[in-house]
Amino acid sequence: MTAVLHTTVVAEPVAGYRLSLRRFARNKLAVAGLAVVVLFLLFCFVGPLLYSTDQTHTDLTQVNLAPGGAHLLGTDAVGHDELGRLMYGGKISLLVGLASGLLATVIGTLWGAVAGYAGGWVDAVMMRVVDAGIAIPALFILLVVSAITSPGALGLIVILGLVSWLVPSRLVRAETLTLKNRDYVLTLRATGGTHGRAILRHILPNSVSTIVVAATFQVADAILLVAYVSYLGLGVQPPSTDWGGMLSAGLTAAYSGRWWLIVPPGLAIILVVCAFNAIGDGLRDAFDVRGRG
Amino acid sequence: MSPARTRFAGAALGAGTLLLTACSGTSGTSSASHDSINYALPANFTPNWILPIGTAAHLNTNNISIANTLWEPLIAYDGSTGKIAWNKAGSVATAADFAADNKSVRITLGDRHWSDGKPITSRDVQFWYDLIKANKAQWAGYNPGKAPDNWTSFKAEDDRHFTLTFDKAYNPQWMLANELNSITPLPQHVWDKGGDPKQVWTFLNNAAKNIAGYQKDALWKTISGPYAVKSFSTSGKVVLTANKKYDGGEKPGIPTVNLLPFTTADAEKNALRSGSVDYGYIEATDLDQKGSFTGQGYTVKPWSGWAITYMPYNFNNPAMGAVFKQLYARQAIQHSIDQTSLAKVVLNGTAVPGYGPIPQGQASDFLSPVQKDNPYPFSTSTARKLLTDHGWSEQGGVMTCTEPAKCGEGVAKGTKFEMQVLSQSGSTVTDNMMSAIQSAFAKTGIKFSIKTAPVNSVLSQTPQCTAGQSICKWQLSFFGTAGSWYFNAFPTGDSLFQSKGGSNFGNYSNPEVDKLISASTTSSSNQAIQDYSAALAKDLPVIWLPEPVYQISVMKNGLGGFWQDSLANFHPAQWKWTS
Repeated sequence: MTAVLHTTVVAEPVAGYRLSLRRFARNKLAVAGLAVVVLFLLFCFVGPLLYSTDQTHTDLTQVNLAPGGAHLLGTDAVGHDELGRLMYGGKISLLVGLASGLLATVIGTLWGAVAGYAGGWVDAVMMRVVDAGIAIPALFILLVVSAITSPGALGLIVILGLVSWLVPSRLVRAETLTLKNRDYVLTLRATGGTHGRAILRHILPNSVSTIVVAATFQVADAILLVAYVSYLGLGVQPPSTDWGGMLSAGLTAAYSGRWWLIVPPGLAIILVVCAFNAIGDGLRDAFDVRGRG
Repeated sequence: MSPARTRFAGAALGAGTLLLTACSGTSGTSSASHDSINYALPANFTPNWILPIGTAAHLNTNNISIANTLWEPLIAYDGSTGKIAWNKAGSVATAADFAADNKSVRITLGDRHWSDGKPITSRDVQFWYDLIKANKAQWAGYNPGKAPDNWTSFKAEDDRHFTLTFDKAYNPQWMLANELNSITPLPQHVWDKGGDPKQVWTFLNNAAKNIAGYQKDALWKTISGPYAVKSFSTSGKVVLTANKKYDGGEKPGIPTVNLLPFTTADAEKNALRSGSVDYGYIEATDLDQKGSFTGQGYTVKPWSGWAITYMPYNFNNPAMGAVFKQLYARQAIQHSIDQTSLAKVVLNGTAVPGYGPIPQGQASDFLSPVQKDNPYPFSTSTARKLLTDHGWSEQGGVMTCTEPAKCGEGVAKGTKFEMQVLSQSGSTVTDNMMSAIQSAFAKTGIKFSIKTAPVNSVLSQTPQCTAGQSICKWQLSFFGTAGSWYFNAFPTGDSLFQSKGGSNFGNYSNPEVDKLISASTTSSSNQAIQDYSAALAKDLPVIWLPEPVYQISVMKNGLGGFWQDSLANFHPAQWKWTS
């Protein structure tokens, strides 16, 4: 009996997702954002297979060359091919952005779901922790930790994930507060279902729209945060780099006319961050029940 | 605008700001007239010490420069006259006559007066001498066995003559340039509160800690130098005004000197572009923008430093100390450093290769032919051969000790040639240099990882240590973006490379070198210091690196009449507006 009830209530959102997908596909900006993200993923992860460059060794005989035949986007101050570096740096930017965005979303989702479901003093304590965390700027924490540890890509993912989960936790808690009193949750509890089952099988699946939208924005924010940190010289260490680090390294070329050291990584950051935000906007509109008809 | 659109626009703005930051600058107000000058202090430096006696916590060449404009040194032995020599115009002493046996010196003071009209006498010098003798451990210039330990007596003959006796014969040039130059006559009649040198030391140091009081505290009003403090902000701006009572040889050329602090080199560069700095600097990577500065009415002129640049090895590091102790390993490392390319390309031609302990940016009689000719020229193939000949073979791209009997004492089988540098952050040039070095090491089969930190953190995290200490994890250290070590006029290595030397960070120790260093301070011949130069060029106590200029100065046209002191001091009294 219980299983039948569950199947019925979980099945309903699936049909909603099909509708949401159609709504998303009609949002041109969101689709364009998705296309940009896919293109950049291909550029960074497949591109190096087609356009092979040495990003490990410097070549002091080929420094600061303008874009041309041998180097389509020129070279940097130590002779790295800039187009290859854009792919190489993009890999880390996207990887760190995606992974830390997802990590933040997972932590925030679990935290918010438990707080909202438990209620009472547990909720009060957990959300005061969130309030306290939000009061401290994430960038500040990130800079302090980065200065102490000089993190690599994995370190950045962990640090970014640990400082960015607060907002998703609030969103998911709010969603949980409305869901935990729904009939199907109450029925599960009345028939002996555990709290964990209620959260994992009912509340979280029905919060997916909120979580997915939050995750998209988290990824965009994470890419921007890692760019900030690298721009300030506290990101991944050489010979690794990311778009923020490339921008920082090209800073001194701002007045030297070497635009190829600044514009490409800068544009890449803008495009990808805007693309993720466009996707997030599109998903939010697609999941918004008020607009369905 | 909907919340979603607001967020979208905000994200674009955030990302765009990051890009635009790379191209933005700040503006300021320009120097109003030729009655004043705006001088840019080094980035991230805030003047914080007025007392002309440095303590370790306040040891900075810029603090010393400011103090020397207020209290003139006894013997100004520096590069302010275009060569490293005794600048008598900027000194209180007029003569230093060494005894025939070089065991004492008789100093003659000029007919000089304090700003309150009282004469400067031998008692004022003795006041400094007594303070240092009683508090030598707190004095930043102290090295055991050197001044004041090797000064055995001070005997005042009259108000303008005194004799200083040494514990043995010393090279007069070394004594003048490296020890007597640290003496500053102090206004004993104002500062001597109580007579006990230890109490007076505490009193003066406590007073000097109150930066906010520099402007008004009567203690700092009695001066002998060409300038007085007009204002001294805790945020770092210092305004100096000409001392009208000054009766020395370096009359101030510009009535008001504004010393401006900057948090970053970029902020300073933007101030230059806005015209609000008359005498500033740019980085080596900005040299290709020289035209834009000359077009704005500036002259770009490198300021060469009397310095060497290097990366110290930590010979006591538990993981790599045993490897560093092998001369062949150090030779392989040095062979992997392409100093010519680093100096020409990464440092934009503003550096010269340095192959040993004597600065090579300027000609001197101290440089040995061995050091000059570079005993270990760049060759990664030679470096690889050195390693493979000594029991190392490449495994997974990294040299690994496979024959410990050949690798050397203490190097275990399986040891990988992996080392990490803690390098000074905040400089694109340094980052690029480290990347280039990393690349060259990779060709030799040496894994070189780079960790960066602000220069003060680098210095605090790479101290002298023993293998068992947790702080001894550092392997290599770099703090030489503008040169690692600025010498006194006579470039001996007593504190740098002598066993247990105060600044011998990596605990390098070689009894033969110790003897050569001692000889260089006592022998009156330059052969001794040349022997020392040759020995260290071959023995590689550190990784020798190109010597960058102290700074690339950018000066308003019309500012002239002075030399840039290669000892990295600035001398405002010599600055003049010539047009």
